[in-house]
Amino acid sequence: MPPSTELEVCGLTKRYSPQVSVGPISFEVQEGEFFSLLGPSGCGKTTTLRCIAGFEELTEGSINLHGERIDGKPPHRRDVGLVFQNYALFPHLTVFDNVAFGLRLRRLGKAEIADRVGRVLQIVDLPGMAARFPAQLSGGQQQRVAIARSLVLEPRILMFDEPLSNLDLKLRIQMREELRNLQRRLGKTSIYVTHDQTEALVLSDHIAVLSHGRIEQIGTPAEIYERPASAFVAEFIGSSNMLRGRIIERGEAGTIVETATGLRLHCSPEREGEVETAEVSILLRPERIHVGAPGESAEPGQNRVSARIADITYLGEDLHLSLDLAGGERLRASVKNSNAARGWAPRQSVELLVDAADLRLLSR
Amino acid sequence: MNVGRTRPVWAFLTGPYALFLLVLLLVPFANIAVYSLHPYSPTKVFLPGLTFDNYRKIFDLYYIRLFGRTLRLGLITTAVCVVLGYPLAYWLARARPRWQAMGLFLLIMPLMVSAVIRIFGWIVILGRKGLVNQALAALALEPVKILYSDTAVVIGLVNIFVPFMVLPVMAAIERISPNLEEAAHNLGANWYQMFRRVILPLSLPGLISGCLLVYSLSISAFVTPALMGNPRERMVAQQIYDEVLVSFNWPGAASLSLALVLLTAALMFGALFATRHTGRHEKVS
Repeated sequence: MPPSTELEVCGLTKRYSPQVSVGPISFEVQEGEFFSLLGPSGCGKTTTLRCIAGFEELTEGSINLHGERIDGKPPHRRDVGLVFQNYALFPHLTVFDNVAFGLRLRRLGKAEIADRVGRVLQIVDLPGMAARFPAQLSGGQQQRVAIARSLVLEPRILMFDEPLSNLDLKLRIQMREELRNLQRRLGKTSIYVTHDQTEALVLSDHIAVLSHGRIEQIGTPAEIYERPASAFVAEFIGSSNMLRGRIIERGEAGTIVETATGLRLHCSPEREGEVETAEVSILLRPERIHVGAPGESAEPGQNRVSARIADITYLGEDLHLSLDLAGGERLRASVKNSNAARGWAPRQSVELLVDAADLRLLSR
Repeated sequence: MNVGRTRPVWAFLTGPYALFLLVLLLVPFANIAVYSLHPYSPTKVFLPGLTFDNYRKIFDLYYIRLFGRTLRLGLITTAVCVVLGYPLAYWLARARPRWQAMGLFLLIMPLMVSAVIRIFGWIVILGRKGLVNQALAALALEPVKILYSDTAVVIGLVNIFVPFMVLPVMAAIERISPNLEEAAHNLGANWYQMFRRVILPLSLPGLISGCLLVYSLSISAFVTPALMGNPRERMVAQQIYDEVLVSFNWPGAASLSLALVLLTAALMFGALFATRHTGRHEKVS
């Protein structure tokens, strides 16, 4: 049986003023899936989340949860859990009472509440913390309480509003892993709002990239990274080199583009209708540039470009190179710190090898 | 510079006001305490010798009633201030800065008007031929007698003391993140449940300070009950005034004063002791 649609957002629009508005935004979230809304601050991702939770009223559009329209319901009657960015734990209640908050409102028996709270605290790995107050917990622990508090009510979907942004880097990575494992284990349909592309890539089944209140692209992490639909998505996800060029030849074997400085590059044939204009941006990921010694020969289907190393940034595991092309363009390349890389120095001439398949053309 | 020795900075910061209090409050107060222990004489300020008669007198029915009425009016005034002030404090705490500034200005305004002028305004409104009764007469209804009654005193006291309730409550509510309200709704609480389980307990310290302020100000009020109340149904401060300036019974006035101060202090400490655990959760142990 294919998974059913759990959440359906249709033409969601929120107008704050004639100048400031979000949407229309439409997307679907399948049952059990981890769906991320990714974008820079002010792109409308939090507004979308708050509309689903019922804290903002839609100007237009509809929200359906499990086939039932919910955008007219008050927030407390929606079966939607929300984990706040600052956790929003009740400071006057213990961990137990925080988690039991929603259960008590549902008038469950004492024994059942104790049982369910105990189980959920086990799930989020907070044993023996039930009697503490939020102020006595670390950021990561507060985070888990916030998740437990929503999870214990078994909502249809669980939503996260930038939940890791208040944690330090190491804890962020650890919590990211835990969140992923937890979601995979429980199979809870989740919507995750973040501006951090790594979080979105690591956690999600599908990502919607937002910019200026619109969805730029929806896809799996690999689709979004490998085949960005726009220059914005390409620049926002991962680091990228963008060259300006125009298509001079389209053929069976591929497309040939020429940059402003006369550099000709062979690209794989693009998909039907992907690039409409002749003027294009050429996207090249830094890790897809192979840096070789001068004179290294290209294999068929590879582009060979001469360059000179302008600068080397040493990152231990990786090296970041700034490379000047003959025409004056500058490319960034990210290479593994290998034996071959040991001899490199600024002002050295190198040969860049780039697969035709690693060049992406985007309409301009 | 001598780094090793810490300067008593606290002495410089608190010293001037401490000195002010010492000279202008504690010394006169000690003086009153001494007066209250001397016997009364109709011809002298007081007679030599020590006696507890002035305090024993407070347990006469007249004085017990006087204190009872004072405490009762204080309680009513405080209750009305809570009912009127809490919603206002919530609105102010959650209002946009511009509305908040405007609201605070309007709230404080009664305090900028002299008590006599404000009360004169109330007399115009509540008097036998005042606006209220004119309006009732226009509707062919019986006139009411509000002025020179306990009702008038409560109205007058509430009028000045509402800000003392609103300000601490507002400050407490402002410290509660609106996210907590949203979290409560998200967990299934309607507005009333959210208020009772989140806003009310978290604003309780502010509500307690507001009640203590209004109550202690109300039970020591003088001008408002003197000008708006029933002259035969007085409050403690009026009685003290009369004993000083009308019957020249300074020891009696002194013992009443001290009793009022001790009562207020006892209520304050009692309330603070009973609620000493609220607000503790914010500290990391």
